[in-house]
Amino acid sequence: MGGRVTTPETIARRPAAGPRPGSGRGAAPRRAFTGRRALTILAFLAPAAVFVGIFTYYPLLTGAQMAFRDWNLSNFTDASWVGLDNFRTVLHDPVLPGVLRNTVIWVVGSLVPQFVIGFAIALWLRRHFRFRGLYQALIFYPWAVSGFLIGILFRWMFNGEFGVVNDLLEKVGLIDSPVPWLAQPSTAMVAVLIANIWYGVTFFAIMILAALQSVPDEILEAAALDGAGRTRTLLQIVVPYIRITLTVTVLLRVIWIFNFPDIIYGMTGGGPADKTHIVTTWLIQVTQRGDYGVAAAIGLMVLVVLLMFSVFYLLALRERGVKR
Amino acid sequence: MTKTLRLLGAGLVTALLVTSCGSSAGSSDDGVELKMVESLTNPARTAVLKGLIEDFEAANPGTTVDLISPPTNSADQKIQQMLQSKKGIDVLEVRDTTVGPFTANGWLRDLAPDLKGWAGWADMTQQAVDYAQGEDGTWYIPYGFYGLSLFYRKDLVEKAGFAGPPASWDELLQQASAIQDPDAGTYGYAFRGGTNGNGNLVTAIEAYVADDLDKANAFKTTDGKSIFAAPEALTAAQTYFDLFEKASPPSSVAWGYPEMVEGFSNGSTAFLLQDPEVIATVGQSTAIKPDQWGTAPLLVGPTGKAAQPVATAGWGMSASTEHAAEATKLIEFLSSGEASTTFTKENSLVPILTSAASDPYYSEGPWASYVTMTNAPDTYLSVIQPRNVDWWTEWTQKADGDVQRVITGDMTPAELLAGWDAYWVEKWAAA
Repeated sequence: MGGRVTTPETIARRPAAGPRPGSGRGAAPRRAFTGRRALTILAFLAPAAVFVGIFTYYPLLTGAQMAFRDWNLSNFTDASWVGLDNFRTVLHDPVLPGVLRNTVIWVVGSLVPQFVIGFAIALWLRRHFRFRGLYQALIFYPWAVSGFLIGILFRWMFNGEFGVVNDLLEKVGLIDSPVPWLAQPSTAMVAVLIANIWYGVTFFAIMILAALQSVPDEILEAAALDGAGRTRTLLQIVVPYIRITLTVTVLLRVIWIFNFPDIIYGMTGGGPADKTHIVTTWLIQVTQRGDYGVAAAIGLMVLVVLLMFSVFYLLALRERGVKR
Repeated sequence: MTKTLRLLGAGLVTALLVTSCGSSAGSSDDGVELKMVESLTNPARTAVLKGLIEDFEAANPGTTVDLISPPTNSADQKIQQMLQSKKGIDVLEVRDTTVGPFTANGWLRDLAPDLKGWAGWADMTQQAVDYAQGEDGTWYIPYGFYGLSLFYRKDLVEKAGFAGPPASWDELLQQASAIQDPDAGTYGYAFRGGTNGNGNLVTAIEAYVADDLDKANAFKTTDGKSIFAAPEALTAAQTYFDLFEKASPPSSVAWGYPEMVEGFSNGSTAFLLQDPEVIATVGQSTAIKPDQWGTAPLLVGPTGKAAQPVATAGWGMSASTEHAAEATKLIEFLSSGEASTTFTKENSLVPILTSAASDPYYSEGPWASYVTMTNAPDTYLSVIQPRNVDWWTEWTQKADGDVQRVITGDMTPAELLAGWDAYWVEKWAAA
């Protein structure tokens, strides 16, 4: 124990066993980049570019310009330009501070348990045991269910009078009387978080399991030969090896959880008294009352915040990677 | 090069195929196809509607109807997009809550000229005619009305020592409090604290100010002030919130329509204030037998009067339709005779035709309370709430949030009423 440990970096420094690219048998000669080749590449790229342009960027730009206009259901015939008025309306809304606080709780409170439990499940599923395929299918099942449907299911499960959650907790003696989960500000957020954790664990489990399966057995065997224990192997061999997957997965999940109103909308609609409203459920509420200009302003602000977060997150991780 | 061009062509064709739009609706060589879209979609109702459409098509050869049934939650947004694009819609379900914005944007056709001299007006109740023929035009013909009555458990009321169901809000509080027994899983009142939770509180306030209520705008008293500023409104609000404190399930802060109906249907709550459409649902309950429940008229205030806030929806026509004559025929068909009666019966709606009053279906059983209310118009005032204003959805969102704030202790009933009064005064001044 405690000796020199094989790391992904040391493995990378060793001479590769297989044929090197560009040398020996199987290597293709580099093709000249001609106008004809450029056209071919363009032809393959065109459908995807047109598709993304029409279905992503066109609505995005249309939505963005709505944020600067008085775009209201009460009168679409006069959607005049109002500058930054819609943004001022958002920033002066008394609901905003609570919504921002709830959004942070929602993202952090969902992400951390999802990551930890998902990682644990992935480690467990990596081992070989009977009916592993069945267990995998069962664990991955929630990811296939609609978020809104999950919201409705959990809404009934957490129902104070007829819900199965209270029934189970009473039977095992954890509570004496039914808890009105979704009716109390103190418990409503806990309930929606539990639902979201249940839903999102699966994604981490799938992604991390796939990454774990890409870790070559020879590295693990070498680490074992070098005397590394389980924890050390995990932290110094496995985690660095799948670091890229973990980084991207966490980034994607932060963005998705931030943009995921389905469960809250289905369970509480943002209530009681706005106590579970996050930015995106609030956006839905504003849209429903026909304030499309204000809703577009909220959407644009969310976009900017998430873009900034993504850039800082990736930069910070890159910096850490360089320092190593 | 030919190969590259072929590839480029294939790419473009793929892109065009993927992004191409559907064919436009309208006339075909064989006749006219009407596009019809409903809003309050549910599977049973859609089946009834399709049956009626088949009857219409059989009676009108050459005209077919394509019924579009978006999910209820997003239906009005979908309808709005269709109206905004000015194509693909001829006949639509217009609700009293959507008629305001739809007409403000010029999306609906005024049916008055099309329906001039229509024989169907003669068989319509005065209420239906009043709703159809507004001051600024005929934007839709109501297909039925929703109105509140009190669903109650006969056995629980009797067991608690009361001779009959409550007639007033005070009596409801008294009976519901007496029945409430959380340890036994029995609760007094199926409180609505979730979506549209403000509605029953407003109904209570209207009952308390009924003597001075402006029937044409039930959010105003006859002196032009908002009902929320009246001193009686505070008493009403306190009684209403006492119902939650003393006689309702704690989780009902978050209860919307499904939980309320489930709470009554599964036998755990003794009273439920709801529309007649619930009659069918409760009738299918396996937890409570038909002799265990009944309906009673809407609850009255201290002066012995109640205000029935009528809600409605109906069939209208888009301003951009190119088949006005055929669309008019369809609306006339659905709004008269057997088709109308079938639709109101199958969907448990208060009928729009006078002939329905003689139908035993409406004069017996759970419907009897509606007949009682219709026969006593001075006690049960039929009033119109300003549901057609542009800001109605904004109002319900604000009001629902405030009801929850009072229940969770973030606001007092007096603060709630002051806020509501200020809100409406400001809106009316700006309108």
